[in-house]
Amino acid sequence: MFKKNFRHDNLAAYAMLTPILLGSTIFIIVPFAYAIYISFYEWGFYQAPVFVGFKNFYVNLTDELFTKAIWTGLKFTLYVLPTQLVLGFLFANLVKGLKGKFASFVKAAIYIPTVIGLILAGVIFLFIYDYLGGLANYVVGWFGLEPIAWLAEVRTALPAITVPAIWTGFGITTLIMLAGLLDISESYYEAAEIEGAGTFGKMRHITLPLMRNIILFLLVTGFTAQISQFELPWVITNGGPVNETATPNFYILQHFLNDVLIGRSIAAALMFFVVLGAISLVIFKVLNSEKAVDG
Amino acid sequence: MQAKWGKSKSWTVLLSVLIILALVVSACGGSNNKGSSSSPSASASSSSPSSSPSASGEPEPSASESSAPAEKVTIEFWQRSFEETTNKWFKKYVDEFNKSQDQIQIKYTLVPGEAWDQKMKASQAAGKAPEVYTMNYGGIANAAKLGQILPLNDLMDPVKFDDIYDNVKEFITAGGKYYAYPKLVEPSAVLYYRKDLFQAAGLDPEKPPTTWAELLEDAKKLTGKGVFGFSTAQVAGDLGWSSWGLQFGTSGHEALTSDWSKADINNDAYKAVFKFYQDAYQSGVMPKQALAPYPDMKPYGEGKVAMQVNGSWAIGQLRNSYKDKLEKTGIAPMPSQSGDPASATATLGGWTLVVDGKAKHPHQAADFISYLLAGDPAIMIDFFKTSGFSKFSARKSVDEAMKSDPDASKDAWRALIAEKIIPNSKAEPIYPWDVSMAVSTGIESAMKGTSVDKAIEKAEKTINDFIANNKLAGTNPKQ
Repeated sequence: MFKKNFRHDNLAAYAMLTPILLGSTIFIIVPFAYAIYISFYEWGFYQAPVFVGFKNFYVNLTDELFTKAIWTGLKFTLYVLPTQLVLGFLFANLVKGLKGKFASFVKAAIYIPTVIGLILAGVIFLFIYDYLGGLANYVVGWFGLEPIAWLAEVRTALPAITVPAIWTGFGITTLIMLAGLLDISESYYEAAEIEGAGTFGKMRHITLPLMRNIILFLLVTGFTAQISQFELPWVITNGGPVNETATPNFYILQHFLNDVLIGRSIAAALMFFVVLGAISLVIFKVLNSEKAVDG
Repeated sequence: MQAKWGKSKSWTVLLSVLIILALVVSACGGSNNKGSSSSPSASASSSSPSSSPSASGEPEPSASESSAPAEKVTIEFWQRSFEETTNKWFKKYVDEFNKSQDQIQIKYTLVPGEAWDQKMKASQAAGKAPEVYTMNYGGIANAAKLGQILPLNDLMDPVKFDDIYDNVKEFITAGGKYYAYPKLVEPSAVLYYRKDLFQAAGLDPEKPPTTWAELLEDAKKLTGKGVFGFSTAQVAGDLGWSSWGLQFGTSGHEALTSDWSKADINNDAYKAVFKFYQDAYQSGVMPKQALAPYPDMKPYGEGKVAMQVNGSWAIGQLRNSYKDKLEKTGIAPMPSQSGDPASATATLGGWTLVVDGKAKHPHQAADFISYLLAGDPAIMIDFFKTSGFSKFSARKSVDEAMKSDPDASKDAWRALIAEKIIPNSKAEPIYPWDVSMAVSTGIESAMKGTSVDKAIEKAEKTINDFIANNKLAGTNPKQ
């Protein structure tokens, strides 16, 4: 009887695992292995593939634009992520103090940009940055300044497209931060107040340490999302001016679409994967994930 | 007891779901591979266990359809989206063609320009590329070399090719064979200018600029009061092709040596072209940020610029959308460095139809092309008329027929472009787009402040690297 049950359970376990194993084999493992395979070939849709060893990787590594694209992706992330986290944190603290209907109104309101989505946000900001009729230059005009070529100037283009990224990501960041804040027991703060801790002290010694896992989560997911940014340069700048806003994914897709032989773009994607993985690993190491103290 | 019952019940459900899933997956795969004429696979799946009626039910109608005696061939045709009028023209004559005979059914798909590359790649990857599609002249030689498209010599009546102008014939030839049938030619650069603003600025409206120096001088006088004097391409993607004419006209050659072994841009002529764009941008007569993409006439139509360089297609846009500007508009060839009227400042672009290299019904596909582009001149005249004579014929017989057409014969703009611009225009280069992009990225960086010498050097290095990485040397299909 015992034995039979045991086998029965095993079967159930395998049956439960099958869909996931099947799914990940079909959609993750096979394509990934195939991508690695293709990256060693000059591979087109109308010709027999030719084995070229590491040539595709070498070509990417020596292409200034590839390294520039990675660098652009990092810069973009560096502009967006900290801004988003700091703004989200401040705003979450603000919302936490609000009460009643007004609180739920604010929570809904800050989430709206996230719902709008990047493509639409891109289009909206394309209008805002219009040289003659745009809102941005209208505001600049109040100060009696010449219109600024937001999207054509090498200096301003990348910062300009970070704004819609911050705008759309801000709501979800704030809400996750808020959830983390609400999880911290009020008794800590009460105890700290009795001990005479100020606002800043409470923030530093209670709030931030207890938010560590939340921040780690936001850092890792945010980093992956931002460095993979593709929609905004695609919609707003088309990678310009002079490739200043060509992010890694933008570069890869451009090559995939334009190149006759696509092995190289696959190789670029794999290399980008390595960069992304390595940096995510560093974030994990530096910000060691720990269980919350109170449990 | 009850728990046990529940368990085994859920087991049955799980198992049956898995089985149905497997059936559906295998049914899909089978029908995909075989295409339309797959009655054996249909009968096989209908004889399989009857536990999933939905899976066996689907293939049956298709089996009866394909076994019908009259074999009507369905040809997939993709058209890149152009102006509204052109899209309508395609749709109209596809319908006419389908009605005119009962052998071939054209399945027409309109694909937006931005989605074209992605959609095409995806369909090629899946082995489902359309059998007929639009292709521009620049793409033909390379596509032919890669076997992406079929030669049409044996698929179409040779007489049809005799009708094409000799310089256009060259555009569609690779390795001595014709790989496409041309629909039209259009010069990439024509200067449109506002006569009323010329007058207001003290310039002679009948004397448009002919050299770059005059152009920039006039532009300076025209700039002010919310109007920019001059507008042309200013981002790399637009400059890549719209500057070809100036590159040829000034240097007398393309950006590569004719054997494609190295870049040929580190010379005074190319530096002059870079300098022209740099001066135009930095002197403040152009908007600092593009008001619209190069092929869009909107900035001129909305009165924001006094002179705009654009392709001949902009005539159509002016006539359809900005009627109030028509009276005040003059047109002229885009100025050249020297002012020599025979110097090229434009390339002749244009579109063709091609048959895919993996087409299953190449003859039927070519029949459709013969009907649409190489058949009755009236079909093409209808096209040129609806486009407001902003495009030009690649066939002698069509031009011949147009002479007797009252609308066409009295159109002054048409005459000016046909006589003064098209004869001096060059064919688009056929080297990979990356090369043109390297040049235009150089031009853009010169506009944005890099010195001309540095920009040229960088572009030269990019091109030479590209040649080395892609083993481009000696691969010119026209050589």
